[in-house]
Amino acid sequence: MAWKIFLFVLMTLVCIAGITFPIVEEPSKWYHFPLIPGLEENAKIIFFHVPTSWITVIAFLMSTLYSVRYLRKKDLDDDSKAYTAAQLGMIFCILATVTGAVWAKFAWGSFWSWDPRQTSIFALLLIYGALFALRSAVDGEEKRATLSSVYSIIAFVTVPFFIFIMPRIMKGLHPGSADDTNAGPIVDFKMNSNMQVVFYLSLIAFTILYYWMWNVGYRSHIVKEKLQKQIS
Amino acid sequence: MEQFFADNAIYIVLVIVLIVWAGIYGYLYTLDKRLKSIETETKGVKK
Repeated sequence: MAWKIFLFVLMTLVCIAGITFPIVEEPSKWYHFPLIPGLEENAKIIFFHVPTSWITVIAFLMSTLYSVRYLRKKDLDDDSKAYTAAQLGMIFCILATVTGAVWAKFAWGSFWSWDPRQTSIFALLLIYGALFALRSAVDGEEKRATLSSVYSIIAFVTVPFFIFIMPRIMKGLHPGSADDTNAGPIVDFKMNSNMQVVFYLSLIAFTILYYWMWNVGYRSHIVKEKLQKQIS
Repeated sequence: MEQFFADNAIYIVLVIVLIVWAGIYGYLYTLDKRLKSIETETKGVKK
């Protein structure tokens, strides 16, 4: 109960800070954000866009962990958990792509330019899209659960490569790519401490929100499965 | 007040985002409660 109220307060704070705190060239007050050359006001997307891709990774990781657990214990509840996590990962992956594309329109000039980051997230969407195609193609819940668990584990192998490695070793437009003059990985590019605090609070808030969505999601999935079994 | 919002459009965006967030939160909260009641209802029935 307490964490739900904590989530509400935290996310509200992040929204207020992320949107209204001004970006100035030389931060002097505690609420000032620094100006990042080439990004300007666009830089505020970091509080809402980066957490979505962060949740994508966490969700796909949890899907893999529960898939492993399913294969070891053969408990269908674990399959529901893995499936819901993969679903949420997919939703947040699409959100990251769409918010990124909208941002790119104003930062790079077009919605889509096959930047390494965009290409890799597109590949990721295809890989995990196939998981849902696989699930809907197989009859028999245990066979479906086993096959999708194995697929989910294999699919996750590609996630670190597509999200963390490839966009960083290739030249591109996205902040954090190999030839980025703003230097360094995305997280420590010229953020001041105030900006970092808001950023990490945002990550925490989104993680709790994801946890709650996942929790409600798999519980309803399990209840639905049980009711279906009683009817048939 | 009205003049302030007219001059600083970003705060209108903020108000909209906060309304959306409150809506999502309220939806999740009621969903959670409803689900809990279903869970307790079906708990007695064996699989």
